[in-house]
Amino acid sequence: MSVLALMEDGDVGQQTLSLARVWGHVHTVRMDAVAPFAPDALAAVLQRAADDLDARAVFAAGTDRGNDVMARLAARTGLPFAANVVAADPSGSVTRQRWGGSLLESAQMPPNRLLMTVAPYAIRATDGPAPTAVDITRYMDELDPRDRVVQVKEHIDPPGGGVSLAEAKVVVSGGRGVGSKEGFAIIEELAGLLGGRVGCSRVVTSAGWRPHTDQVGQTGTKISPDLYIACGISGATQHMAGCKGAKKILAINADPEAPIMSLADYSVVGDLKEVVPAISAEIRKSR
Amino acid sequence: MRLYRIVRAGKPSPRFDDLPGRARAEAVVVVGQSKLLQRLGPGLMHAAIFWGFIVLFPTILIAMIGAADPHATLPWLGAQGWYALLVDAFAVFVFIGVIAAYAIRLLQRPRRFRGSHLGEANLILAWIAGIVISVVAWHSSQIALGLNDYPREWAPVSNLVSNAWHGSWVPVLERAAVWAHVLLILGFLVYLPYSKHLHILVAAINVFFTRTTRRGRLEPIDFEKPEADVRFGAATAQDLTWKQLVDTMSCTECGRCQDVCPAYNTGKELSPKLLIMALRDQVRAESTKPLVPNAVTDNVVWDCVTCGACVRECPVGIEHIDHIVDLRRNLVMVESRFPDEAGTMLRDVDRASNPWGKPQADRTAWAEGLGVRVLQPGEAPPEVLFWVGCAPAFDERAKQGARSTAKLLQDAGVDFAILGPREACTGDPARRMGDEYTYQRLAQQNVETLNQSKVTKIVTTCPHCFNTIGNEYADFGGTYEVVHHTEFLAELVREGKLKPQAGTRKITYHDSCYLARHNDVLSAPRELAAASGDAVEMPRHGRRTFCCGAGGARMWMEERRGRPINEERVREAASTGADTLAVACPFCTVMLDDGVRQTGSKLQVIDLASLLREAVERKASSPPS
Amino acid sequence: MKLLVCVKRVPFTGGKMVLAADRKSLETKHLGFTISPHEECGVEEAVRMIEAGGGESVVLTLGPPEAVEQLRDAMALGIDRGIHLQTDGQEWDGESTAAAIVDAIRAEESSGPFDLILFGNESADACGYQVGLRVAHALGRPCVTGLKGVKVDGASVRCEQDAGAGRDVYEVPLPAVVTVKEGLNLPRYPSVPGRMRASRKPVATVTPARPEQRLQLVELAVPGGAGRQTKLLGTGAPAAPAVVEMLREIGVA
Repeated sequence: MSVLALMEDGDVGQQTLSLARVWGHVHTVRMDAVAPFAPDALAAVLQRAADDLDARAVFAAGTDRGNDVMARLAARTGLPFAANVVAADPSGSVTRQRWGGSLLESAQMPPNRLLMTVAPYAIRATDGPAPTAVDITRYMDELDPRDRVVQVKEHIDPPGGGVSLAEAKVVVSGGRGVGSKEGFAIIEELAGLLGGRVGCSRVVTSAGWRPHTDQVGQTGTKISPDLYIACGISGATQHMAGCKGAKKILAINADPEAPIMSLADYSVVGDLKEVVPAISAEIRKSR
Repeated sequence: MRLYRIVRAGKPSPRFDDLPGRARAEAVVVVGQSKLLQRLGPGLMHAAIFWGFIVLFPTILIAMIGAADPHATLPWLGAQGWYALLVDAFAVFVFIGVIAAYAIRLLQRPRRFRGSHLGEANLILAWIAGIVISVVAWHSSQIALGLNDYPREWAPVSNLVSNAWHGSWVPVLERAAVWAHVLLILGFLVYLPYSKHLHILVAAINVFFTRTTRRGRLEPIDFEKPEADVRFGAATAQDLTWKQLVDTMSCTECGRCQDVCPAYNTGKELSPKLLIMALRDQVRAESTKPLVPNAVTDNVVWDCVTCGACVRECPVGIEHIDHIVDLRRNLVMVESRFPDEAGTMLRDVDRASNPWGKPQADRTAWAEGLGVRVLQPGEAPPEVLFWVGCAPAFDERAKQGARSTAKLLQDAGVDFAILGPREACTGDPARRMGDEYTYQRLAQQNVETLNQSKVTKIVTTCPHCFNTIGNEYADFGGTYEVVHHTEFLAELVREGKLKPQAGTRKITYHDSCYLARHNDVLSAPRELAAASGDAVEMPRHGRRTFCCGAGGARMWMEERRGRPINEERVREAASTGADTLAVACPFCTVMLDDGVRQTGSKLQVIDLASLLREAVERKASSPPS
Repeated sequence: MKLLVCVKRVPFTGGKMVLAADRKSLETKHLGFTISPHEECGVEEAVRMIEAGGGESVVLTLGPPEAVEQLRDAMALGIDRGIHLQTDGQEWDGESTAAAIVDAIRAEESSGPFDLILFGNESADACGYQVGLRVAHALGRPCVTGLKGVKVDGASVRCEQDAGAGRDVYEVPLPAVVTVKEGLNLPRYPSVPGRMRASRKPVATVTPARPEQRLQLVELAVPGGAGRQTKLLGTGAPAAPAVVEMLREIGVA
């Protein structure tokens, strides 16, 4: 049995591949196969590849582009589409995420060609036989110009460079407990090691230690990273409103009774000036 | 008169009820000068001048008659020795009052005058001095000339001064003095309507029309009217009610409001005095421009914590909160303009029925393991309904007060229940933000729930819930006996149903504005504090308490300007040497606890219910003596 | 300009998920309802476009009778009228939702096409990521998804989409379909006169038949670890190895 996967680089691509392999031999079309990116063209390519392979299922990662292209494929093939699945078997029984992962749905789809995206970071990537890349030259040559109406015209770089606070997967925030502008050096170090951004509480911006663009909270940026590390932040309601979207929260605070210590998923009781550098050192050691 | 026309054009305000109460307010506040005398020095100064002028009033007539004919006087009164004595004495008191006033203004220069028009006041004071100097000059020259109809020894001061008058110019002095007196008074009357000293007339009227009952209540808006007739607060001076217009005309710029204002005192833009003055200028100019930002900035409107300190302090009955709320109502309901973060609260209240935006189903989480009865629809009502409020239900730190209260109620064998998920936010934060529409929806919903459940008595730990259910729900058909948990618990202690034993804590109690100032709940919390430990008072306490910074929906706004109010209050509490800062409000709990953390104070912020619970357990575990 | 914005009624959960007894829906007895967040921005954007350029705006929803509240919410912000595709409360999958919307649009467009149709990128509850694209395909119109910037410029629309760091820009001819994301704008708080007026604006109600569902919901489940339970990883610097182990577990180190 053959299946088709729209491949992306990185973890999400490997996760997609891991789920697809369970079904049969995987043939892949790369997300960047059509440049500049044109989602309808990519959907057209996938449609023809799936037909030629008689693929039982088409997979993509549940990223913005993955969901976009798969929904286009669903529309043009008249098939149902399940976004962000975490499990699927050829009987057409799938489990997918709702509410951004806060709820799981078991659903039943017709067992002929299933269209699915795989929820990012919901399944473990496993090793397996290498997939076969689909030769798409012919499909590309025969693309209908109408499928290129929607295509990226230009790319605008962010004003500051790097990822925005709102998009960062890891945010390491400092509060009053950091003590000074200079005190943020250890916060920056940890954020750098984790590929994250530095955030802060309102006390910090009003003290002039960090710019307002770094502020997490009701009046700052609302973030939804995979991990939020709150250092020396007491966890005022107004602050928590900004970080409640975080998948996981690690609180580091000298005061075990600070509200954040019971609002977080993980806590470390202690002076952040000792704990944060110790974590950075441990990360370095483990690499 | 133009001012009368302006006031007549004002929007309606129902202020013609409770005539006995209004008469009482007039007697105490105007005649008795009660609010002025809260500050003894300036109060006595003002009272001397005020009472002096009451006493001197008939001398206007006497002087007019005397000016026309030196030998004539007012029948009877003009010949009374006791009246001559009063006039003499009060002329001196007024003069001393004027000197004191100058001393305050020119030497002491209190902060409360910042922004006031002092030049005009100085002129008026000189004028007043002229009036009493001229009356003494006239009386003394009358005595010197033997023109007095009253016994000269009954006017000791004039009599004494008369000894200085010798010579042929004394009759001229007598004529000059009486004419000077009459002209000064007539001039004063002419000048009056153009000056802030109009307050001598308007203030008396304004005090009469102040709120006499249910002070914590805001006037509801009638949304049932056709849209064009609904008054969405105040956009321009034309939208103010007649009472608000009289407010603006009553202000003497004395600055007592400014002096007690938590916003002003922590370096924010709002000064209640400057607010009223700015509104007055718009009213007088009959401006049709929006009051915000032409009279005051948006910041001024949002700085207010509705603590009511200004209203309580104002000697002329100005109700600043009504102005602020009306400005907010217009900004929120018509302009959709408010600090961004407050929008989150408004949306959460509207959609989630609580300002935390948490699921209503979680409303009972705080009571986990306590076995508290959740009143189901159709069940018989309990003796008393425990209205928990949103903060204790959803804020980690506010939870403890509710848990302690529930345990104490259980200890005392009280038949109580909670509404659980059927309890919605009272709407108070939305209302104080100016979103009357959302407030009324929630108020109606809650009243329906309570009435359907046949609830008659409610106990609550939250002074904001306490105020709005007790003072405001009656407007929506909800009339209940509402008691604050401190009152209820104090009663249980008095009845002997709870037996506390004071410990070694040194406790200072922070009065919540909505308990002490808006609702006169003063003694019960103090009884509980005393029953739990060694109680000490902060400098600002009781009805003159200082806000924690959370009132008026400020709980949900960032404090961007000035110094944090909560830290100011915590420093005051710490200055008493107490180790425990007792509170009786979940908002105060959160704000002051934040303040303690930020100032690094060692104070423990604890709800009185928790302190009482501790004291009751102490008693239970101590060996019988 | 004639605009259509499609919205969905979703419960306002505040985070915690409690299932109804049949495990096919959320327990919503004590929950408020709202327009799905991305679509709120769609409504706001439509209102702004009409305010700036004039024209007519229409809001459409497919949902139970109570979903008229969300139409009113949208009209309170300034949308002119509503179309309610009324259901019996059963959930419709993305495919059948799109089909019903397409029928409604075709009926509506007999008096002229919508220049722009706005959808949310995905609904907050079902997270299907497909209705807007399916509608666009059926109507033969271009569709750009996940927009954080939309600007109609003459006969085309400039679309900005977050792409890693920075943004990708598309430009497609009108009539077009776009799906938008929260952050596109900051939706205004509805004015009270607006809310009062919304109750008098017209809503056309259609009751489409629910076809057989091809993505058939069987059962819902709450994944483990919902709600935060704090795990103490240690005290002081010696806690570092436990922290790093945790970081690896959740995939960030």
